[in-house]
Amino acid sequence: MVAELVEVQEFLVAHAPFEALPESVLRGLPPRLTTRYYRRDTEIVAAGSHNDEMFVLRSGAVEVRDPHGGLVDRYDTGRCFGWAALLSDGIAPFTLTAIEDSLVLVMPGEVFRELSRTQPMWSVFFQHSLSETMRMAVRAVHTADRGTTVLKTKVGDIIRRAPLWVTPATTIRSAAETMRDERVSSLLVMAEDELVGIMTDRDLRNRVVAEGRDIEQPVSAIMTADPISAPVESMAFELLLSMVAKNIHHMPVTDGGRVVGLVSSTDLMRLERANPVYIAGDIQKMTTVEQLAAVQPRVAEIVGQLVTEDATADDIGRVVTAIADAIERRLIELAEVRLGPPPGPYCWLTLGSAGRLEHGLSSDQDHALILNDETLAGPDGDAYADYLSELATFVSDGLAACGYRYCTAGLMATNPQMRQGLSRWLDTVARWVENPSDDTVHRVRSFFDLRPLHGDARLFEELQRAALAETADSMPFLGHLAAQATRTQPPIGFFRGFVLEKGGEHADTLDLKDRGVRLVVDLARVYALAGGLPQVNTQLRLTAVEGTGRLSAERIADLKDAFEFISYVRLRHQARQVRAGAEPDDFVPPDELSQFEKRHLRDAFQIVRQAQSVLTTAYPDQG
Amino acid sequence: MLFRRSLDSRRAAAARATPPGPLRDFLEVPIDDPRIDWLEGRYLAVDLELTGLDERTDEILSIGLIPVDGPALVHRGAEHLFVVPDGEVGQSAGIHGLTDDRLAAGLPLSEALPALLAALAGRTLVAHHAPVEVGFLSRACERLYGAPLLTRSIDTMALQRRVLRIASDDEVRPGVLRLQAARDHFGLPRYRAHEALTDAISAAELFLAQAAHLGGRTGITLKSLSS
Repeated sequence: MVAELVEVQEFLVAHAPFEALPESVLRGLPPRLTTRYYRRDTEIVAAGSHNDEMFVLRSGAVEVRDPHGGLVDRYDTGRCFGWAALLSDGIAPFTLTAIEDSLVLVMPGEVFRELSRTQPMWSVFFQHSLSETMRMAVRAVHTADRGTTVLKTKVGDIIRRAPLWVTPATTIRSAAETMRDERVSSLLVMAEDELVGIMTDRDLRNRVVAEGRDIEQPVSAIMTADPISAPVESMAFELLLSMVAKNIHHMPVTDGGRVVGLVSSTDLMRLERANPVYIAGDIQKMTTVEQLAAVQPRVAEIVGQLVTEDATADDIGRVVTAIADAIERRLIELAEVRLGPPPGPYCWLTLGSAGRLEHGLSSDQDHALILNDETLAGPDGDAYADYLSELATFVSDGLAACGYRYCTAGLMATNPQMRQGLSRWLDTVARWVENPSDDTVHRVRSFFDLRPLHGDARLFEELQRAALAETADSMPFLGHLAAQATRTQPPIGFFRGFVLEKGGEHADTLDLKDRGVRLVVDLARVYALAGGLPQVNTQLRLTAVEGTGRLSAERIADLKDAFEFISYVRLRHQARQVRAGAEPDDFVPPDELSQFEKRHLRDAFQIVRQAQSVLTTAYPDQG
Repeated sequence: MLFRRSLDSRRAAAARATPPGPLRDFLEVPIDDPRIDWLEGRYLAVDLELTGLDERTDEILSIGLIPVDGPALVHRGAEHLFVVPDGEVGQSAGIHGLTDDRLAAGLPLSEALPALLAALAGRTLVAHHAPVEVGFLSRACERLYGAPLLTRSIDTMALQRRVLRIASDDEVRPGVLRLQAARDHFGLPRYRAHEALTDAISAAELFLAQAAHLGGRTGITLKSLSS
């Protein structure tokens, strides 16, 4: 017979979530716990360590710090803590320290899990707390890399390539050839790993050409010896200031005495130029596809900079989309210039991630055209159709030249199915919705993320209104869509089992697009279409879904945070790739993630997974 | 070291002299080596409710006990044993709120004591003012089994003197060594109930706080905490 631990039971019943447990369950708990005492300033759990216990503070006080030492929270009597590890992979996300002498009730992980399985309110309580932790994580990543404008950029972040160098004995001619071939305006002069000088365009002009010097002389004769260098930790503005003061345009950057790069005043100026407003303005003035194609590297710079600053993934998506819009719109205008004025009104739609204002650095192109029924039926119908076919080809090829890959699912206006008169469009959408097949739904789901980009917006409005009227509460279609949305699951086991891409080019990486961001996009789309909601942006869709009562406010808030977190990690990965001179992609090697990010990614994946289960219940697949 | 051999050998000798039964079983289990750090020790916090403080005439009314494994109270092992006294319930009934009715549901000491001995086997006894608990239990063993209780004990009241740096012959302000006052010193919660199990738990928690305090960062052996 187990004695009744009156004091423990009375304590538990006075605190959440125990208060809500049935009495029979509550009564059985005290014997399954232990009591521990922690002296002031002792660590209870260290961040990153394994933890399989939940604690309830009986008396005293406990401080919570993130792995960087930042204070996250302070707990007092009655507070449950240490459970975050139990909900994920068993690794503690935070360091928990007794800051006063503390008496703590300890619940073994197995008891916690048993309650999670058998007591619905128990899971609800901790899931809710999990979302609070999630919000803390979102704040934490945004402050970790915080910086504002150029004033906060470190020199190390703007070095783009390894320094080019020659030996002191290299001839001036050969050095100049290197500069020409590498398209640089300066070279370092190195003698056995040591920086001995720097040679620039200006030296060639002033000390070679103007002085009529023999170009077969060694560079040591014309270089600036013992140049000033800056440590890699310097701030960009410090460098700019000292360059202006000394009237120099190039400065070697060193890391622990080793030369790691060369920064020019142009590099520093470019920081300012990487401003989306300037870029959109520039795009407006461009007249060739080649000029437009040159914009892409600047977009990558902007993303890198926005990530370093305090921008959210949502903001960054909007900025990148705004630039993509400007390019796409400019291409349409250039097509109209080349093909002459259009024979009738039309509407160019942008679809998919661009439609949702969620363009990333590795997005492809999705678009469609709505044609005017009257013009099509009129005498110039064929010419009109041909005109728009040519326009579509021009724009699509232009986009491809600008770095937006062709859509593999054929959601492009070059595809005749994506280029129809309004009435035929209405038929097409009705057919998709009324006779859905897995294949069609999979292929065309991005069509429902549509936004008018150019032309007669009334065509878009009619099509969208009709489409939403079709999809709202249309069970078989929504069932297919829900099945699509839940077919791929987030990599919950990631980090314990390392559920990564198997084989191929992206072996052992985490696909944050297909197994992360896209899952939330798909979830939000099902609910939006089910509710006949016109929003297409995922965050806006989720907000609007709340009004329909189809998902709880809490779950929606969780999903938004999860979406923001995953998107942010993905964008930062891409920004790092761009900084390293690589093509941005969605495949994140786990090593690139901090413990903190891994844990919160898992939290985010868990939230997505739960939302998928809810969706499956609400919209069972009837196919 | 000397102490250990002495207690062990005394217990071994007593075991040989004691007829088979609960006390002999208890004596045959060696207690933790006193040289280990207190965190590795196993303890049993005990509190008795008594009709009075005179071992010769007063009786045990209830026994509260809870095992302590290193720095943790093991709730699962907690027991609250009510004892049917031989005589009438003394004047302390008013204090403890015990009634003849409730005690009628209890066990005779001959059944309660074996349960305690089984729980104590191998462990160090912890009590607030331990001489009372050890004295009453030893007396009960003598009456039932013909031999005293040979055990190691830790007195949390004596430890509190060390915590407060009060020399053993110093005058003590009345009350500062009492269980609740000692707990207050460490910021431990106040318990409402006044019964044997709660008091055993109170003593156990106090012991953890005292040992953590006295051990500091370097640790402290079981021996240097023992009476």
